[in-house]
Amino acid sequence: MTWVVWRQHRSEGLITLGVLAVIAVFLLITGLNMANSIQQSGLSDCLAHAPGSSACGALRQAFENQYGFLLSLGAFLLALPVLLGALVGAPLVAREVEQRTHLLAWTQSITRARWLSVKLALVLSAGLVAAGVMLALLIWWYAPSAQLNGSFSNSRFDTSGPVWLAAALLALALGVFAGTLTRRVVFAIFLTVALFVAIRAPVELLLRPNFEPSITVTWPIGQSGPTLSSQDWRVAAGFIDAQGNTTNKLQCSGNQTLNQCLQANGAQANYITYQPADRFWTFQWIETGIYLAFSLLALGATVWLVRRRLN
Amino acid sequence: MSQALEANKLSKRYGRTWALQDCTLALPAGRVAALVGPNGAGKTTLLHLAVGLLEPTAGDVQVFGCSPRQQPNEALPRLGFVAQDHPLYKGFKVEELLTLGRKLNPRWDDALARARMQKLGIPLDRRAGRLSGGQQAQVALVLALAKRPDLLLLDEPLASLDPLARREFLRTLMDAVAETGLTVLLSSHIISDLERVCDYLIVLSASHVQLAGDIQKIGQTHKRLIGPRQDVAAVASVHTVIEASHTERQTTLLVRANGPIFDPAWEVQEVSLEDIVLAYLGQQTTEWLPSAREQPGIEVVK
Repeated sequence: MTWVVWRQHRSEGLITLGVLAVIAVFLLITGLNMANSIQQSGLSDCLAHAPGSSACGALRQAFENQYGFLLSLGAFLLALPVLLGALVGAPLVAREVEQRTHLLAWTQSITRARWLSVKLALVLSAGLVAAGVMLALLIWWYAPSAQLNGSFSNSRFDTSGPVWLAAALLALALGVFAGTLTRRVVFAIFLTVALFVAIRAPVELLLRPNFEPSITVTWPIGQSGPTLSSQDWRVAAGFIDAQGNTTNKLQCSGNQTLNQCLQANGAQANYITYQPADRFWTFQWIETGIYLAFSLLALGATVWLVRRRLN
Repeated sequence: MSQALEANKLSKRYGRTWALQDCTLALPAGRVAALVGPNGAGKTTLLHLAVGLLEPTAGDVQVFGCSPRQQPNEALPRLGFVAQDHPLYKGFKVEELLTLGRKLNPRWDDALARARMQKLGIPLDRRAGRLSGGQQAQVALVLALAKRPDLLLLDEPLASLDPLARREFLRTLMDAVAETGLTVLLSSHIISDLERVCDYLIVLSASHVQLAGDIQKIGQTHKRLIGPRQDVAAVASVHTVIEASHTERQTTLLVRANGPIFDPAWEVQEVSLEDIVLAYLGQQTTEWLPSAREQPGIEVVK
C-alpha cells in the first residue's frame, strides 16, 4: 500500500517540493541580506545594549524602511497551509470517487480502513515534514525582525512555532474531510478553504488575545507609560474618557496641541493592553491544541464516512 | 453443492428508493452466471453489496460463507471485481497497475498477469489512459483474474465495448474459467452474447429476482403456446403464465411449464432465452424504478 500511495501522490509531492524550493531560494537570498544588514548597521548591537537610545531608534527606522515591504510580503506565506489542504487534502478521497477508482482500490485484498489509514499516515506525515522545513526557514528568515518586534504579535505568531504545523495538519485534515463529504474535488477545495477560515479566524481574532487574561496598564495624560519589552504583544492601546470608555481615535483640528486635542476628546488617561512575552509558548501550545483537536475531529469524521457512508 | 454467493432477503435503500428489495438467491460454485435486468433494476447494487462496497439496509449476503462487510479480510482476497466502465488509475502504466495488484493481493499471480498482457498485445509501458477502451477493459479483467479469485463479479463488462472487443473480452474470461473453474457473475443487458458463455441465469427486475436457475433447464421448462383465442385460466391453474398476448382469433402465451403440456388445443414451441428474459422483464414494466445510481446510455433491449 505504501508503494501505491507513493505512486499516486508522487507528482503532488514533487510539485510541493518545487514550490518549497522556489520559496526557500527567495527566503535564503532576502534573509541573508536582512541578517547582514542588521549586523553591519550596528542595529543588532544597539538592541542588545541600549535599545532605548535615539541612535538605536534611527537605525531601527532605517531597517524598517528598507525591509518593511519585504517583511509584509511574508504574510502571503500564511496561505501555504490552506493551499496544502485544498490542493493535496481535498482530492485525496474525492478524486478517487470522482474517477471511480475507489471501486478498484476497495476491491483489492485490503480493507478500505487500511487503505485510508496508510494513505492518511503517509500524506499527512509528508505534509508535516514539508511544513516543518518551511517553519524552520521562516523562523530563520524572521529572526532579524523578531529582534525588533518579537514573535508574539498577530502577524508573526503563526509562523513562529508549532501553531504553524498544527495549522498545516488542520488544513490537510479539513481537506480530506471535505473531499470525502462532497465527493467532488472542486467543491471540496472551496469547502476546505471555508472550513479552515471558519475555524482559524475566530481562534486568531477572538480567542487568542484571551488565552490568558491580558494585562491593561493605564496612566495619566502627559506622563510616560510603562516600558514594555519589544517581545511583548501589544494587543490594544489608546485613551480612556471620564466614563471609562476606551478609544484609539482622536478628532483633532489642525491648530490644537496634542494635549488640547486629548482634552477636547475627553481623554482622561492612556491605556495599553498587552500579553507579556513569557506567555508566548503557553499561547503556542494552547492554539496548537485547539487545531489538533479540530484535526482529529475532521479525521475521525473522514474515517467514519469512508467506512460507513461512502460507496 | 456449495454456494459461491448467497443472498438472503438482501435489501438496499437509498433515501426512500429501494434499489434492491428482498433479494434471495444462491449461485452455486463453478457456474458462469448472467445477471440480467433493465437499468435501475438493482444489478449494480447487488454486485456492490456482494463485493462489500455497500452495506445492506436489511438482509445479508455471503460469499463462500463470509460476509464481505463483516469479514473483509476473508472475503476480499476470494473476490474479483470489475466495476462498470472498468475504472483504472489512468496515469499508471500497465506495469504499475500490475505492481499495484501484486502489492495489494496476497494471492496475486504475476506470471499469469504478464502472460495475459503479452497474449493480448498490451504494452506494459503504456499508460492506462492511453489504451483503447477495449484494452482498458481487458487490463481491468486481467487485474481481477490475477488476484486468483474464487468468485469474479463483472458489472456490465461488455457495455462499452465494440463487438470485436466483446468477443476478445469473453475469450479471456472463458480461458480463465476453463483453467481455474472460478465462479463468475456478470451483469449485462446483451443477452445474446451471454448465451454462449453462461450456464446460469438470474433475472432481476424492479429490485426483485424474477428468475434464477440453470440456463438449460430454463430453456427446457419455458414454452410458447399458441392456440385459438381463449381464457388463460385453465393453463394458469397448472403452469405459470409469464406473458400473454391476444389477437382477435389467437392467443399466445409464454409459460413456465410445471409438467408436461398435453392439451392438443395448444401448439407448443421452443422459446429463445432472449424472449424468456424479455417476458420476465415485461411482467414488471410498469414498476420499473428509475434510478440515478446506474449510468445512463445503456438501453434496454426490448
